Amino acid sequence: MLLLSNSLDAIAAFINQGGNVLYMIMAVTFIMWVLIVERMWYFTFEYRKQKARVIDAWESRSERQSWYAHKIRIAMISETSDDLNTGVTMIKTLVALCPLVGLLGTVTGMIEVFEVMATQGSSNARAMAAGVSKATIPTMAGMVAALSGIFLSTYIERKAKRESEKLEDQLTMDH
Amino acid sequence: MKKILSAAVAFVLGFSAVSAQDTGTDLDTLLNKVRNGSVTDTSKYKQRVNAFRTKQVQQQAELNRSNAEKSRLEKESDRLTKQRQDLDAEIARLEDLLDKEKGKLGELFGVLQQASSDAKATLENSHISVEFPNRLNEINALVDKAKDTAQLPTPDEIRTWPSAMMIEMVQSGKNVKFNQNVRLADGNETNLDIVRIGDFGFIGGGRFFVLADGGIVEELPRQPSLVLDTVAPYQAASSGLVSLGIDPTRGVIMGMEVDKATLEDQLKAGGPTGYLILALGAVGVLLSVVQFVYLFVVKAKVKSQIKNSTPNPNNPLGRVLQVYADNPNVDVETLELKLDEAILKETPALERFLTLIKLISAVAPLFGLLGTVTGMIATFQAITLFGTGDPTMMAAGISMALVTTVEGLVVAIPTLLLHSFVAGASKTVIHILEEQSAGIIAVHAEKGNS
Repeated sequence: MLLLSNSLDAIAAFINQGGNVLYMIMAVTFIMWVLIVERMWYFTFEYRKQKARVIDAWESRSERQSWYAHKIRIAMISETSDDLNTGVTMIKTLVALCPLVGLLGTVTGMIEVFEVMATQGSSNARAMAAGVSKATIPTMAGMVAALSGIFLSTYIERKAKRESEKLEDQLTMDH
Repeated sequence: MKKILSAAVAFVLGFSAVSAQDTGTDLDTLLNKVRNGSVTDTSKYKQRVNAFRTKQVQQQAELNRSNAEKSRLEKESDRLTKQRQDLDAEIARLEDLLDKEKGKLGELFGVLQQASSDAKATLENSHISVEFPNRLNEINALVDKAKDTAQLPTPDEIRTWPSAMMIEMVQSGKNVKFNQNVRLADGNETNLDIVRIGDFGFIGGGRFFVLADGGIVEELPRQPSLVLDTVAPYQAASSGLVSLGIDPTRGVIMGMEVDKATLEDQLKAGGPTGYLILALGAVGVLLSVVQFVYLFVVKAKVKSQIKNSTPNPNNPLGRVLQVYADNPNVDVETLELKLDEAILKETPALERFLTLIKLISAVAPLFGLLGTVTGMIATFQAITLFGTGDPTMMAAGISMALVTTVEGLVVAIPTLLLHSFVAGASKTVIHILEEQSAGIIAVHAEKGNS
């Protein structure tokens, strides 16, 4: 409990230093990670069942040679591929968004720095420091958030592609 | 001939003789005159010499008198010099005596002078002095006396200092309501019931007031929006604990609030580039929303069409299936070509605006950069004119130049997100059309055949 409150305090202090943009980065990162975890869950548990169902449906067909069968197979693969790829674009977009939001925080922080400089001159380093930390921390946070997601987003993308190719291989056509 | 000549000579002589007789009388008178004249001159000269002689005697007497006066005054001067020396010695003796008598009190007065000056500065900047203007006069009198070496402050005067500081201490822990002349933000003065919050500031009429130079209570021209809504409940409350925003720096932070640029100022600073970016953003968001709603409806119709075997021409999939329904007996290759044609007809509506939205999300940050760079150019032109001596002038320009970058990002981030939503929805429908429509037809056909 104490550990939790300590870490909450640390987070509050960090956000206080970095400005409100950090909330935005936090929200983007949270959504990104929810989507990533959902995908991982889907790949490890849901997809196996779905794959078995699709292969079952295909194998239980009376014939697998006609034009109709061919088209049904393509439709099955496409449906599964759609399911595999749900949210992948969103994850990639969110990864790209993190540094942009960080940049937004940086620029607003810089505006604050120059505003302080405009009213108080450049001699008051302490007054400018608040703006400087608001200018640097969001960029760092955005980068870290993007880095945390970029590896898994690439993995998920490749996994989805590979799984749909595997499925295509497994739905064999009788010659 | 001889006669004529002698007559002529006689004439000439006679003539000259006549004239010689005339001048002869004048010269006599002149001689007399000269003789008499020299006589009068001599007498005048004698008179003058006599006059000078008498004058000399007089002046000699004067000189003697002056010399006597001078020696008298010299004597007087000597006496006074001696007297002054005596008095100097007396002063030195008395000063020694004073120093001796004052002893360590000198240090005490030094401390008093410093302390009273400090107290004066504190009281002048204190919000409490508005209520007790007399304190300032008393402490001013004390400071003047403490500075003056010739005068010593009396114990009563010294006592005004601790009493003023006591009032300061006690009052800084109180919130007091009183009536006061205040200067409003529009420059008018009015009489208002204000509340002094310790030594931190004033509130009145639901607004914050600060202490301006010269002890005038002044309304903040721009109220701190973050805590402004705590003022009215505080003033309305009669008891209990009520929260109120105060400025612990006694006006500095609230002063900075006044200098802060508002959203309106920053929009104005963005200039035409800024407005262009915002217009682009508005267009992008509008198109995204329109297309997203359209795709949402289409997707729902397509999903219901998948379950329904009769083709409904109100959705793209229904129209593609309609092709099969219209040509039930064609061979599969012709059917495939017809299906492809129908699908190709449907895709433009589904992909509408997508490229434009993507373009806006890519172009907005570039426009922002453009605005910033042109702003920087203007700033550097100002530096060319005025030099770098005043950082405040440059800083204001740079701060305003950065506004367009912010606007670019503010537009890019939501349009990028919206593009991702719209592209996802559009991709789903197109996938269904391209890859699954033939399968759906096949399923329906097989059902019909069996």
